[in-house]
Amino acid sequence: MRNAAARIALLLAAVTHGAATADTASGQVLFQQKCAACHTIGEGDRIGPDLHDVGARRERAWLMRFVTDPQAMIAAGDPVAVRLYERYNRIVMPNLALDDTQASALLAHIDEVSRQHPASVAVGVATAPMPAPALRSPQSAILYGFIAATLLIVTVFVWVARSTRDPATVDTHRAYALRRVLFMAGLVCAITVLALTLPRTPYVQAATTPDRVIHVTARQFEFLFSDVAVDSTGDLLNVATSDRITVAADTLVEFRVTALDVNHGFGVYGVDRQLLAQTQAMPGYVNRVRVHFREPGHYPVLCLEYCAAGHHLMRAGITVE
Amino acid sequence: MRTIDTQTALWMAVTFILFPVLALLGITMRTVQAGGLEAMAGWFYPLMTLHGVGMVGVWYVAAMGCAASVLARHVAPSPLIGRIALAGTVIGVLMLLACVLLGRFAAGWYFLYPLPLHGEWPLWSAVLFLASLTVLGATWLVWSLDLLRAIAARFTLAQALGWHYLRGQTEPVLPPSLLIVTVSLIAGIAALVSAVIVIVLFALELLTGTSSDALLMKNLTFFFGHTLVNLSMYLGVALAYEILPDYAGRPWKTNPVVVVSWNTVLAIVLLAYLHHLYMDFAQPGGLQYLGQVASYASALPAAIVTIFGALLLVYRATMRWNLASILLFAGLAGWAIGGIGAVIDSTISANTRLHNTLWVPAHFHTYMLAGLVFLIAGYFAHLARPAATADASPRRDRTIALLLVGGAYGFFAMFYLAGAWSIPRRFAAYPAELAHGATTAGIAAAFATLFLAGFLYYALDTVRQWRTATRTD
Repeated sequence: MRNAAARIALLLAAVTHGAATADTASGQVLFQQKCAACHTIGEGDRIGPDLHDVGARRERAWLMRFVTDPQAMIAAGDPVAVRLYERYNRIVMPNLALDDTQASALLAHIDEVSRQHPASVAVGVATAPMPAPALRSPQSAILYGFIAATLLIVTVFVWVARSTRDPATVDTHRAYALRRVLFMAGLVCAITVLALTLPRTPYVQAATTPDRVIHVTARQFEFLFSDVAVDSTGDLLNVATSDRITVAADTLVEFRVTALDVNHGFGVYGVDRQLLAQTQAMPGYVNRVRVHFREPGHYPVLCLEYCAAGHHLMRAGITVE
Repeated sequence: MRTIDTQTALWMAVTFILFPVLALLGITMRTVQAGGLEAMAGWFYPLMTLHGVGMVGVWYVAAMGCAASVLARHVAPSPLIGRIALAGTVIGVLMLLACVLLGRFAAGWYFLYPLPLHGEWPLWSAVLFLASLTVLGATWLVWSLDLLRAIAARFTLAQALGWHYLRGQTEPVLPPSLLIVTVSLIAGIAALVSAVIVIVLFALELLTGTSSDALLMKNLTFFFGHTLVNLSMYLGVALAYEILPDYAGRPWKTNPVVVVSWNTVLAIVLLAYLHHLYMDFAQPGGLQYLGQVASYASALPAAIVTIFGALLLVYRATMRWNLASILLFAGLAGWAIGGIGAVIDSTISANTRLHNTLWVPAHFHTYMLAGLVFLIAGYFAHLARPAATADASPRRDRTIALLLVGGAYGFFAMFYLAGAWSIPRRFAAYPAELAHGATTAGIAAAFATLFLAGFLYYALDTVRQWRTATRTD
């Protein structure tokens, strides 16, 4: 079963100075393929722990054993492996089918990145809880409209319930006439709303041209931005990807969104931390959604379709300058 | 007690046992989202799956059990098939419990393809989950077919759909509840067939490695899920049609308008599921627009005919208000309010800001909890209390109703507010930017606890009165 834990990879890292001879280039590829969905190097925990400087925290022999056969270590009751398993939601890191050479290359890459870059949280990712933002349109209009309709319904039901205190015979002919009026009013209202809203759908209109096209590849549990399309996991070896991009202010961007494993939701939040646009990321399909980035600032991207244990941790970021 | 009454009592027992447990899981989820119960955080998604499948299933079988009970007033459902339905449901539920509690299966209640095959849970738990749905689906299909058979023994299909009223005939008399149950069962069979296709395609992939088209599977899944939930609601409405007249002292009869309304619902409800796929931009555009038109069109007859009809029935009637009639009346209000939330979400341009936020559980909890649950609870109260009028206590009835209504609407309010704030649904924990989601979750958990207290009070009182009534008989 190719499961999410199949990426809960590498609670490892290590890299002694002697490992400098390892092939860090192939380690980078391996990390991207097998680890990056669940781990970062210096940007905080994801599904599994941040691997920054893990070589300084664990013995190399332990790391080599863990990288090559984590499940056996958990089954054997290794205290560190079991503790990590418990701490990270009891998600078992899969066996990655790496030989010793590949494991060494992977550890060398993590060590190299750890040396070059001090640990920090991902750009634009808040670490302290932020206060609730003011509700802005159109969400505020939706909420207030709903509250108004609810109050109207409650008022009518309460009024009818109270009317039973004063029983009387009801003229059904008048009531049916009222029903006809209400039906026609409802019909006119529904047709009006349809006429006003159907032209305002988020689907891409062929007549317009975006300023920029960005490809988005989703997989458990990350979004990868790239300039060219990624059709399979193998493409990740040849395509430069990142979970962050920068775009210029007042740019109309077309995102071409797909998924490599399961359904995900590509949800772009605005600087006000309210949903700006979204589309589903589906295996085998490319959904095109356009977003006009008007204001400078940070636009978080969150997964809006449940995709297993790391769903709520799946995110990316767009910086508008 | 007649056999069907015994079966209704058993369905009531199933509901009264499972619902509080499943509600407790929901409260646990909201508490985890609020930052509490840290030890349960790793269980959030398995509990979410159990809560979702369990609630949809429990209220579907409760609605079906009540529908069978109502049908027994007019036609003769098979007691044997009723027992098989109960046994199959119990077996299916046990299998579900095993795959979630032992296998930590966590693909969510609608198990969107291909997630069941790509999660952190073991493969056997996914297979057991699909097997449990097969058992439940087959059982419910047989049950639905038997109820339709019972109707067909007395009415032709055209008569059961009330078409003779359109020709000006009033014989044979067709109670509105029977019309609605017929419509719901036909829609239900279509939904269950769709579920069978989904399960077969999953099995094909498991056995041969042949993968399915993600968009096709999504269409089939939501056709099944949306229709099943809606028909459960309709069965609840049928209960109101059947017994609210007893309390109002006025008839609520089938007429051409009611017939047109519910036949329209049958045609349209099968298309309304398309609004679940608005954010799948690869879906053909025509289907997206059809989804919005069908969603609006299915709301209109319900609002204008059923809600208006109920209000007209009660308006200035010599109404007998007790817990049963209060819950039935409040249930119709909950259906209407949840329906408004649903119609808003079924507008494509609004859906782009609301899809998969907490606005979605907001509206479906409204019409399920304050709609369907209230209607079924009202029906159970109606069955339990007729022989116990000496035990009537308006104060107790009001207390229960206040706890249920106050707890439910406080709980919903937090969902709606969080949905407007774009807080995503199905997040075990919220990122720092959306920390206000945790605050609303905590308040929601408190209100839900209030609701649960009210439900337990109601359930214990109903069982006590049921037993008193049975002894009296």
